[in-house]
Amino acid sequence: MAKKSVWSDNRFWQRSATWVTGFASILLIWLTFDTSAQIAMGNDKNLKDGVTKRVPGPTVINYKITYEMSNKRGHEVPIIGGNDGKGNSLFQQKEKFFGRDDYSEKEARALLHLGKLGSQAKNCMDCHTLLGNGAYYAPDLTKAWLDPAWGPDGAMQALTGKNTKEEAMAEFLQHPDQYPTHARMMPNLGITAKEAKGLVAFLKHMSSIDTNGFPRNFGKIKGAVHGK
Amino acid sequence: MIDPSVIRPEIALGDFLPIFVSSALVLVFGGFYVGIYTAVKVKMLKPWFIALAYMFWLLTAYCLYLMGSLMHVGEFTAKALVVAAIGLILLPHAVYYMQDQVHKKNEH
Amino acid sequence: MASKYLTGTGSESKQLATWYFTFAAILFGAQLLFGLVAATQYVMPGFLYGILDFSIARIIHINALVVWMVFAMFGSVYWLLPDETGIETVGIKIGKLLFWIFAAAIVVVVLVFLFIQVGKADATTIWFITEGREYIEAPRWADWGIVVVALGFVGNLFLTGMKGKQTGIVTVLMADMIAFAGLYLAGMFFTDNISVDQYWWWWVIHLWVEATWEVFVGAIAAYGLIKMLGAHRQVVEMWLWIEVAMLFGSGILGLGHHYFWIGTPEYWWEIGALFSALEPLPLVAMFVHVLYDWGKTQGSEEEKGNTNSVINNKPAFTWFVLNAFGNFLGAGVWGFFHTLPQINLYTHGTQFTSAHGHLAFFGAYATILIGMFYIAVQGTNGIKVMKHTRASIWATSMITGGMMGMTVALTIAGYVQVIVSRAQMGATWAGYFDGQSGMWFQQAMDWRLIMGLVIFTGFIILAKDLLTTGKNPVHER
Repeated sequence: MAKKSVWSDNRFWQRSATWVTGFASILLIWLTFDTSAQIAMGNDKNLKDGVTKRVPGPTVINYKITYEMSNKRGHEVPIIGGNDGKGNSLFQQKEKFFGRDDYSEKEARALLHLGKLGSQAKNCMDCHTLLGNGAYYAPDLTKAWLDPAWGPDGAMQALTGKNTKEEAMAEFLQHPDQYPTHARMMPNLGITAKEAKGLVAFLKHMSSIDTNGFPRNFGKIKGAVHGK
Repeated sequence: MIDPSVIRPEIALGDFLPIFVSSALVLVFGGFYVGIYTAVKVKMLKPWFIALAYMFWLLTAYCLYLMGSLMHVGEFTAKALVVAAIGLILLPHAVYYMQDQVHKKNEH
Repeated sequence: MASKYLTGTGSESKQLATWYFTFAAILFGAQLLFGLVAATQYVMPGFLYGILDFSIARIIHINALVVWMVFAMFGSVYWLLPDETGIETVGIKIGKLLFWIFAAAIVVVVLVFLFIQVGKADATTIWFITEGREYIEAPRWADWGIVVVALGFVGNLFLTGMKGKQTGIVTVLMADMIAFAGLYLAGMFFTDNISVDQYWWWWVIHLWVEATWEVFVGAIAAYGLIKMLGAHRQVVEMWLWIEVAMLFGSGILGLGHHYFWIGTPEYWWEIGALFSALEPLPLVAMFVHVLYDWGKTQGSEEEKGNTNSVINNKPAFTWFVLNAFGNFLGAGVWGFFHTLPQINLYTHGTQFTSAHGHLAFFGAYATILIGMFYIAVQGTNGIKVMKHTRASIWATSMITGGMMGMTVALTIAGYVQVIVSRAQMGATWAGYFDGQSGMWFQQAMDWRLIMGLVIFTGFIILAKDLLTTGKNPVHER
């Protein structure tokens, strides 16, 4: 029975394991280079030139953002500054954000930076999900900017006594315990007015990220976003 | 690129439950297949149980098919599922063959 | 066989292992306690509101989980090193020092989480209070502390492995632990781009729990089979290499199933779907392997006319079998049924993920690490054949049963969310709360809390058993 079989040779399997692991790792690294290039944040020039980026530049907060079906992609995509009718962004239609639609690249970047830092400093992810990741104790924030609840027909503007989406959101973030929407309330996390503005910019920017159609049918049922 | 006319179909509301059940059963049946196969081989069960093992594999394959068609997987994913099913049927054979070889080599 | 390293007495490495195990068990208790707080808040939202909010309870729940497992993993390695290499662990004094540094750092981090909780939106908060990234919330200073401790640990492992006998198990652990430590670096930077943030965040989370930790479990299972069954080393180690190939072969690119919706390109759908479909195969294979070795070893003993069980540590072996089964069920079944992008579009970010997370962490890791606790109890008390006690049976049944019950409850809750919040309501704020208010969802949350209490009671009994069973006269010495 001393017949040598390669299948029962430890060294053969050790080498196989090494090769398989090495191959998978190299493939992952290669894909990482490709993905990194594709998800690098765009800039103001891209938006002005009409270049669609998966993660647009921070000045996207100057534009109107919607979430609409793209026939080509087979799912919804973020539409920035108007739809050309085929599911592509026109990058034309602006939208005021705290009264302005002319944030410079530097200003917008600073706001986004503050917002992203704030999202981590306040542990947002330990109740909410961002891009679907996090905790499940509170609503997903991926497309929160586009949520009909905060729009002109939603309840939140009236509740907070504000006339725009961004002001309503900022007011809520600063005093969440004053505006309960459910028995489960968001606690007061000591968010300042400045931080709230940054957080809303962060949310608006996040809604412009191309998430391959997640969440599906966002806002479809309660009208507003998809239905126009 | 995806053909413009193909819009990814929605999953029907009533299909969610069968999808979850069938995809859970894929591995439950798969586990039975592999478990019974091994148990027969190491003589914990009588040889005729092997037929039962293969029956469980058939159930696995059916569940994979059901799950894939209900969630309208694309061509690529469908192929991946077929590969997984074939992988599963071969797996215990390969494992047992190799383990046996090593055992023989080391015990005699 | 009479090596002093087989028992705990006389080996400093094994002594250090017991320290690690003890601290791990304490953190395990803390994990369950804060889990109960969070579960109560789902049922009674006013509970500790404004004092210990859900976010804080959950941070401690999941960070205690990760840290107790890391502690128990380090402990397991320090435990098995003398057995495998035949020598005392090199640099054990540094190892002991690092243990105290690590433990002290954890205590400070937890106190800051508990009493400071959140900070201003600036870099100081990221450095000293919280990094706010799920599972790796520990502030940046602690990250660097962890890197230093991990390097010391990997150093000990490498020096011992190279000086002593380098078995297959030790070789796998050496390669695996360096990847495990190195991957942590991917989670230590700040970026404004949340897609890039999550891309690298998953390198830490996924490549830990679905690749390097799984391989670690394979190595520990191999060690356990040799120790508890007297399984043939050649067979076990060959099998370990096959597992490494299968786990890394499917697990590394299985990373793709986290890249469906975070802004990354669509080709990850295909990569994620393919490798996710393959990911359960090694788990099935690991299950077969345990069954095979058990059957074969018992069979060959019976041929010699020995009808006694070949298992020399019943409680540990029970946990090892539960590991093979739980890994298959939690990571395999519960992972597979929401892994394909077509269905994940609806299940991503619902209680389904939570159900899978609970059962997978428990089935794949908690079980085998508790098994290692029992092996250490056996070793330190010089027990030849360790038997079940009434307490060990109760603890095992309550923890496992509670976990299964909780998983089923969370699965039902997830189903409600998928149907109501996602498919019908399109994932909005209103849709979310409609789902949460559903009767089925709420009852599922009640059951989750009840099952949590069952698990916690089981844990108390487990702790009692681990502390007392060593002196129990039922065991053969």
